[in-house]
Amino acid sequence: MTALPGQFARVNALPGQLALAARLARRELRGGLRGFRIFLACLTLGVFAIAAVGSISAAVIAGLERDARIILGGDVTVRLLHRPATPEQLDWLTRHAAAMSQSVEMRAMARAVDGARRTLVELKAVDDLYPLYGTLDLEPAVPRAALFARRGGVPGAAVERSLAIRLDLKLGDRILIGDGTFELRAVIAHEPDRGVGGIDFGPRVMIGLDGLADTALVQPGSLVEYHYRLRLPPGVAARGVTTALRRDLPDVGWRIRDFRQATPGVDRFVNRITLFLTLVGLTALLVGGVGVGNAVRSYLDSKTATIATLKCVGAPGALVFRIYLMLVLALGGFGVAIGLTLGALAPLVAGRALGALLPVPIALGFYPVPLVSAGLFGGLTALAFSLWPLARAREIPAASLFRDVVAPARRRPRPVYLAAIAVAILLLAGLAVWSAPDRTLAAWFVVGAAASFAAFRLLALGLVRLARAAGRPHNPRLRLALGNLQRPGAPTASVVLSLGLGLSVLVIVALIEGNLSREVEERLPARAPSFFFIDIQPDQLAAFETLVKQQPGVTGVQEVPMLRGRITRLNGVPVERAAVQPDSRWALDSDRGLTYAGMPPAGTRIVAGSWWPADYTGPPLVSFDAGLAAGMGLKVGDSLTINLLGREVDARIANLREIDWSSLGLNFAMIFAPGLLEAAPHTHLAIAYASEAAEEPLLRAVTDRFTNVSAIRVKDALDAINAILQAIAVAARITASVTLAAGTLVLAGAMVAEHQRRVYDAVVLKVLGATRRDLVGAFLLEYGLLGLATAAIASVIGSVAAWLVVTRIMHAEWVFLPLTVAAVAALCGTITIGFGLVGTWRALGQKAAPLLRNA
Amino acid sequence: MILLDDVHLKLASAAGDVNILRGLRLEVAAGESVGVVGPSGAGKSSMMMIIGGLEQASAGTVRVAGAELSRLTEDELALWRRDAVGIVFQSFRLVATMTALENVALPLELAGRRDAFARAERQLHAVGLGHRLQHYPEQLSGGEQQRTALARAFVAEPKLLLADEPTGNLDGATGQAVIDLMFELRARAGTTLLLITHDRALAGRCDRVVHLADGLIVGDERRLIRSAAAS
Repeated sequence: MTALPGQFARVNALPGQLALAARLARRELRGGLRGFRIFLACLTLGVFAIAAVGSISAAVIAGLERDARIILGGDVTVRLLHRPATPEQLDWLTRHAAAMSQSVEMRAMARAVDGARRTLVELKAVDDLYPLYGTLDLEPAVPRAALFARRGGVPGAAVERSLAIRLDLKLGDRILIGDGTFELRAVIAHEPDRGVGGIDFGPRVMIGLDGLADTALVQPGSLVEYHYRLRLPPGVAARGVTTALRRDLPDVGWRIRDFRQATPGVDRFVNRITLFLTLVGLTALLVGGVGVGNAVRSYLDSKTATIATLKCVGAPGALVFRIYLMLVLALGGFGVAIGLTLGALAPLVAGRALGALLPVPIALGFYPVPLVSAGLFGGLTALAFSLWPLARAREIPAASLFRDVVAPARRRPRPVYLAAIAVAILLLAGLAVWSAPDRTLAAWFVVGAAASFAAFRLLALGLVRLARAAGRPHNPRLRLALGNLQRPGAPTASVVLSLGLGLSVLVIVALIEGNLSREVEERLPARAPSFFFIDIQPDQLAAFETLVKQQPGVTGVQEVPMLRGRITRLNGVPVERAAVQPDSRWALDSDRGLTYAGMPPAGTRIVAGSWWPADYTGPPLVSFDAGLAAGMGLKVGDSLTINLLGREVDARIANLREIDWSSLGLNFAMIFAPGLLEAAPHTHLAIAYASEAAEEPLLRAVTDRFTNVSAIRVKDALDAINAILQAIAVAARITASVTLAAGTLVLAGAMVAEHQRRVYDAVVLKVLGATRRDLVGAFLLEYGLLGLATAAIASVIGSVAAWLVVTRIMHAEWVFLPLTVAAVAALCGTITIGFGLVGTWRALGQKAAPLLRNA
Repeated sequence: MILLDDVHLKLASAAGDVNILRGLRLEVAAGESVGVVGPSGAGKSSMMMIIGGLEQASAGTVRVAGAELSRLTEDELALWRRDAVGIVFQSFRLVATMTALENVALPLELAGRRDAFARAERQLHAVGLGHRLQHYPEQLSGGEQQRTALARAFVAEPKLLLADEPTGNLDGATGQAVIDLMFELRARAGTTLLLITHDRALAGRCDRVVHLADGLIVGDERRLIRSAAAS
């Protein structure tokens, strides 16, 4: 009788097969987690990194949303630049609000009465209703009526503690702002709607609206912001009010926000940082994925006899695959769960650290969305990297119990499993792109990660071949070291791949950070002006220039007329509906500085169109920033609508300029042709270059003579930028370290998997007469070569990637920082040789006899 | 029960192809016991692997327990083994993470039998291990492990038992006890037995003794006896 295929009964129905696989997998778990420690560590670490970043980010955003009305100062706010609202506009606002609070904000110079100390401040004049939401905490708790009231004709003021320290003020002291004199009545402990996300150029000074007139700072064209904050009647939707406001009073040119968009800048910043850190975390997970794959392969290798036995007693390959897939999924789920738990707790720890950086406390809570996302990343990574060894295990023949030496078994996974691996990788890539706020960037990350994996894989294989090609050197230690690097089954490729990727991320982060720091700390200060002077009235201009040029140590001064306007339409399309790239959106979010000129400013690089004649008198023309134009899809001949002081002006783009913003010179995104702005009330902006010693006298001379002029010290601004960069750098370094830790785990996993072989080698070589010194030398040489090669490859790939980011994305000047790279390379050497030493030491400590008896 | 006709086995190795079996012919009737002897490298284990569906012959016909093995896929062979073949190994090959009871129940579980554990328990009692049901292999002596393996091999009542040096890892007395048990179980169930061994005395307990050398059958003792009787 001849049996036909398919005649033999299987366990019926999928549920029965799955139940059987689950039962057998559970039995396999009795063997303990020994072979899975690295697997769990790799997965936990990567999932933790992503979950922690996501949870902290969600907690920050939730905190901002929870306190959105407090941060915004109302349910709805509107802001006008240069001019207050008209009676008609005020009437509309008051009619629609249960309460409305007004404030006027600007930058100004504050001076101690003796004139010895002065500094730029953020001045805010508020009415009696301020704040509509939240509380203004003062020390001491002065009643509002007493805070700003005039005493002996002198109005009161509250200041931030840093100003009191800087100007050496104590309660009751007087402070000069513009032409006004104020008495310090309290220190501001907490200001509910203090600006968020931007760079503060100075500490806050708060006065009453009544006292503002004393300063005489509000002059035609001055950079003054008028804020109107509305508390809406119960049940009235903010969106309805903002829609009605835009409909009833169009073309006013004000910035309208409701509490749902209280902090668009911060949200964008947090999202950006979150994306960056998530991608670094994902890199850590991918690096850990190599460890996951190695651990699964190593475990399944140790299970060859069990799998063959199962097949001998009648288990089909699919059942074997299911058993170990379930095992890997269960352990993967366990690792992911630990990572998610730790990640969910991360906001508790981060809340303290972030407290000083955020306007409101983060909202501690459970945020399922980032956890689900991190869990999916973890699960898909575990699958993508485990499927290959699992599919290979399915092919282990029952005959392995008898023979695997004469004819090694066919172990290439079947096409269906290769397809499953491809699907898992595509899902992983898809999730990375889909879940990112900037999908283009995430897509580039996916391409970069794939290219890096391929590059490291190829270079690792090249290294193995190089070791093979080195032949048989005379030095036995070197011969042994090279032999170990290239023998079949050597972990060289996976260590180079994983540790190298981790190191590359560190090199990239270190080099980008180094270049940015250098830009901010060295290059920018070297060519940046000393001061920006703002709010120079046209009738002060000549005297201002003369005064500045007379100051010793001043090497240059330039001035331009300036006012601010808001882009409201692109080719007639309202900006809210226009298709604009995320990196250009900032230019539409608020008012932009603009100027006019007959001749192109020195150094102008026109990349499209042409400049207008110096005596041009036709319809409004504008010269626009080429980068922003590209982001907004604009070209020469297109139109921009700008709201200038409440008037909508259409201007045709005459040319596009490439602007080097890093020069910190008088750069404007928009320069208008003559004829439009001259008649509008405006002030002048000046920059002055001076030696360091001349800065303080220059500041005194200008602000003593022109009390309405504010001076922004560039060095202070750069310090503020640098402080933000440093905070970001710390976060980036921590996350990059996670990637390196994942790479180190893979190395540790390889060491563990290699340990038995190393012990065997050590024993056999000792039996053959090798001394401990020979063995230590050979093993250290092996790990030294591995570390050196990995560091070299990681340095090259990391440097190239950092160069691309700095020059192509950040458009900054690139400088290779050899010391930074050398430090990372030294770290790599330390890690590999350190692990090599530990492993070797343990191997050398083994007694020969027991092993030889069992061998 | 077993029909091997001009069976060849050629395996590839780094040093070139190796001819393991070279035109093997063998017929074994149902219920017969056959001892296979021969020097190392003669092809004994390879022949057993082909009969057990663990290895595909390079050429020739292999019919075992009603199935033509060359027509079956790897998975169909596994299912066929589950239903038709029991195997006993020199190194026991128990699954370390399963108790004795679970090891024995395994083939029945794979067949989806609801009474797998009840039958496995009975089988363990039959081999004298009723008191070791919940013990793991590492908690059992070598003899106990091999008796567990025997229980596993017989629990599904296979038509054919393949035994590869079943006493190779046991001391003399223990090995003898295991062999006695194996023959007793075989006799009780009427199972066909193919026993690979270096031990000629042990092989002599079988109905036939087949001699292998260099991939060929060079002697078949019962056939010789029958031939002598006929002449």
